[in-house]
Amino acid sequence: MSLVHLQGSWTPWLGRLTLSVILYHNGIVDGAFVFAAVTGIVILGVITYYRKWGYLIREWITSLDHKKIGVMYILIGLVMMFRGFIDALMIRTQQMMADGPDSPGHLQALHGYLPPYHFDQIYSSHGTIMILFAVTPILVGLMNLIVPLQIGARDMAFPYLNAVSLWLTAAGAGLVMASLFIGDFSHAGWIGLIPLTELPYSPGVGVDYWMWAIQIGSVGTTLGTVNLIATIVKMRAPGMTWFRMPIFTWTALSTNIIGLTAFPVLGVALALLGCDRYLGTHFYTAGLGGNLMLFTDLFWIWGHPEVYFLVLPAFGIISEIIPTFSERPLFGYITMVAATFAIAGISWSVWLHHFFTMGAGPDVNGFFSVATMLVGIPTGVKVFNWAFTLYRGRLRFDTPMLWAVGAVFLLLVGGLTGMMLAIPPINYTIHNSVFVVAHFHCMVLVVAFSIFGAIAYWFPKVFGFRLDEHNGKRVFACFSLGTFLVFAAMFALGFMGMTRRLDYLADPHWKPLLIVEEIGVFFYCVACYYFFRMLHVSIRDRAKNRVGADAWGTGRSPEWIARSPVPFYNFAATPHFNALDEAAWRRGQGLSDVAPRDYEPIATPKNTIAPPLIGALAFGFGFGMVWRIWWMAGLSLIAIIGVVILRSFATETEHVISAEQIRSMETTGSSVGIVTDHISPPVAEAEAFL
Amino acid sequence: MPAHSTDPLLHPEVRQASILAYGAGFVASTVFMAIALVITLGRVLPYLGLLAAISALAMLALLAQVVLLFRLDLSETQLWKTVSLALVIPLFVLSIGLTGWMFHTLYPRTMLHFMAVQGSGSMM
Ligand code: HEM
Ligand SMILES: [Cu+2]
Repeated sequence: MSLVHLQGSWTPWLGRLTLSVILYHNGIVDGAFVFAAVTGIVILGVITYYRKWGYLIREWITSLDHKKIGVMYILIGLVMMFRGFIDALMIRTQQMMADGPDSPGHLQALHGYLPPYHFDQIYSSHGTIMILFAVTPILVGLMNLIVPLQIGARDMAFPYLNAVSLWLTAAGAGLVMASLFIGDFSHAGWIGLIPLTELPYSPGVGVDYWMWAIQIGSVGTTLGTVNLIATIVKMRAPGMTWFRMPIFTWTALSTNIIGLTAFPVLGVALALLGCDRYLGTHFYTAGLGGNLMLFTDLFWIWGHPEVYFLVLPAFGIISEIIPTFSERPLFGYITMVAATFAIAGISWSVWLHHFFTMGAGPDVNGFFSVATMLVGIPTGVKVFNWAFTLYRGRLRFDTPMLWAVGAVFLLLVGGLTGMMLAIPPINYTIHNSVFVVAHFHCMVLVVAFSIFGAIAYWFPKVFGFRLDEHNGKRVFACFSLGTFLVFAAMFALGFMGMTRRLDYLADPHWKPLLIVEEIGVFFYCVACYYFFRMLHVSIRDRAKNRVGADAWGTGRSPEWIARSPVPFYNFAATPHFNALDEAAWRRGQGLSDVAPRDYEPIATPKNTIAPPLIGALAFGFGFGMVWRIWWMAGLSLIAIIGVVILRSFATETEHVISAEQIRSMETTGSSVGIVTDHISPPVAEAEAFL
Repeated sequence: MPAHSTDPLLHPEVRQASILAYGAGFVASTVFMAIALVITLGRVLPYLGLLAAISALAMLALLAQVVLLFRLDLSETQLWKTVSLALVIPLFVLSIGLTGWMFHTLYPRTMLHFMAVQGSGSMM
């Protein structure tokens, strides 16, 4: 306890926790609390009223089915994305209100409505949430869902590990959410500005929340990368040779190699920061032998590969959607694969472009500038390949296609502004301006557009009916309009000299453009409304929108030969692959409706409570560390080890479905998708284990 | 996929496990890292000597883990893992090498200590 100097009180039982950290006197936080509490109670109430607890625990929380895990990943990501969006809305509103010395102040703020301390927490949580707890989980969820289907596998290589990854991610997200109500979140940006994150400058628990949430979440992500790599290397069905693999699977492979090699660096960077904050070491302090530049360096050694971790699967999604709705094979498959791996490789040697201005020598800056610009070549290859696929295609603009084409346009804007930033003399003038913020938002919006496209595209595969096109197109229209208004204005503001992360803006000339941004955010809100309406209408009218195996009629890759909704065993008989674009090949050969002659027993993983338990304990560990409640952290850690050991004694981990059962499920066409009103067979078997 | 109904204890990796090797690997890597901690805290060595010593100890700890804990070799069961480890080496060289280069040019420009040594200090 005495290794570091802590402000405030500390008791063995409650650590730094006191009643005053829960009760605020701030209208905004109280409002958020009431909102979240009411929503939470309503949701819990509805589940209880309809007696769905058993269903939820049996069918979802304890499930090891890669599709259910994928869906839960995506749900967590979407909920967090909504939270991150509320943060963004608050940031934009504050900046619009707090422009110029005469701008009025409300609540406790001198200008606008958010005091600086609170504003800083909001942009820090916005970035952390959007990158690590929204977009990353959604992409991981999509890979979880689709990759096994694309390679003809029954599940991931390690289904149990898969669930552990999910629940660790959930624990990290839970810590971020807890910080909203119990204590504070970090105010040092998503990148952890050093030395601001050191204990003397951030004596509260905010940085600890940030650090442990990321640390725990990224252990989950790292384990997930191992799983996906093993799945792709080892679980491909007969005939699925490397060069018959769909592009999305290729991008999943490259992205997970990046993730596996990069995430440990983040873990180390944060662990050393933890040593400084908890043990009083001096890795990153400004004096006593510490080197604060080292944190920035380590952070971006992970950080840049991470942005490619995000964008490569997005490229994969675009490469799946465009051929389907152009009714043509993807142009330049081999070059697409090569470009994917070129991008992944180069992404490891460009990280310094995030701190050109730190003061390294011209040779160093020159090297990283050239390396960064090299990324443009394979990225350009991809864009041309998509353009040539579209060229003379029979184009159909269903919602997924709209998102994919929109993403390509954003990629151009984001990529070209990235090229500008990659030139050190230019970077010296616009580094840390909102021009950078606009650049990377164009890029992460490539990912967001692809995600929305992917959800519309693969939803019918998983649930058996399409999302409502009418509302889906409105989501796209409003979202795109919002994007254009916010970020066109933001680029201009960057050139006008507006710097990042300001809670108060000195120059009243910025006001008109800030208002334009606020209007853009309004359109995002409208897009949100249509998104929820789209979900509502789609579920209400699901009977109208039922689809068969090939939901779009022109699907090419192997997931479209599986039934929709995909049964829990994926394929009734192990598929044999004959060509790249198997679904298109079978359609061409007239084999789309061929059913297997013989069925064999299928083993599926049984449910287990261990992964959610490990997640809950990881949350306990993180919470204990944040508040320095040592007994809680220690006991949770021991309990995690205990659960892992106990689970390793479970021998009956698989449930075998007999060939007759499969035949009857296949021939009666009974719904064995992931949302059923009866208990699905592997679950019924596993009840004893619960 | 075939049912994984075989006894997990027959798995080749599990067959390779041995309590003795695990114990030795654990003890060896702990000892090497503890020595590194002690000589860092004790500040007995000059700067370059310290750097060399902790690098060597890190290598030894790594070796102990690779050989004793993970039992990596070129046999069929372990080949993939050994190759994966080897593939990380270029990344290691890249990230540490470029970082070293960066700091080498950064210190003379930003660190007071080096400015004192070099006289004029900043070149920018
Ligand atoms: C053509 C490829 C790209 C180039 C040349 C490029 C270049 C750059 C440069 C030079 C910076 C540093 C700007 C500064 O701080 O002064 C930057 C920042 C950033 N870029 Fe990119 N970029 C590219 C692609 C991407 C992609 C694909 C993503 C994400 C999906 C991305 C996300 C980011 C983020 C998040 C930041 C800023 C992080 C922060 O400071 O908070 N970039 N980019
Ligand atoms: Cu970068």
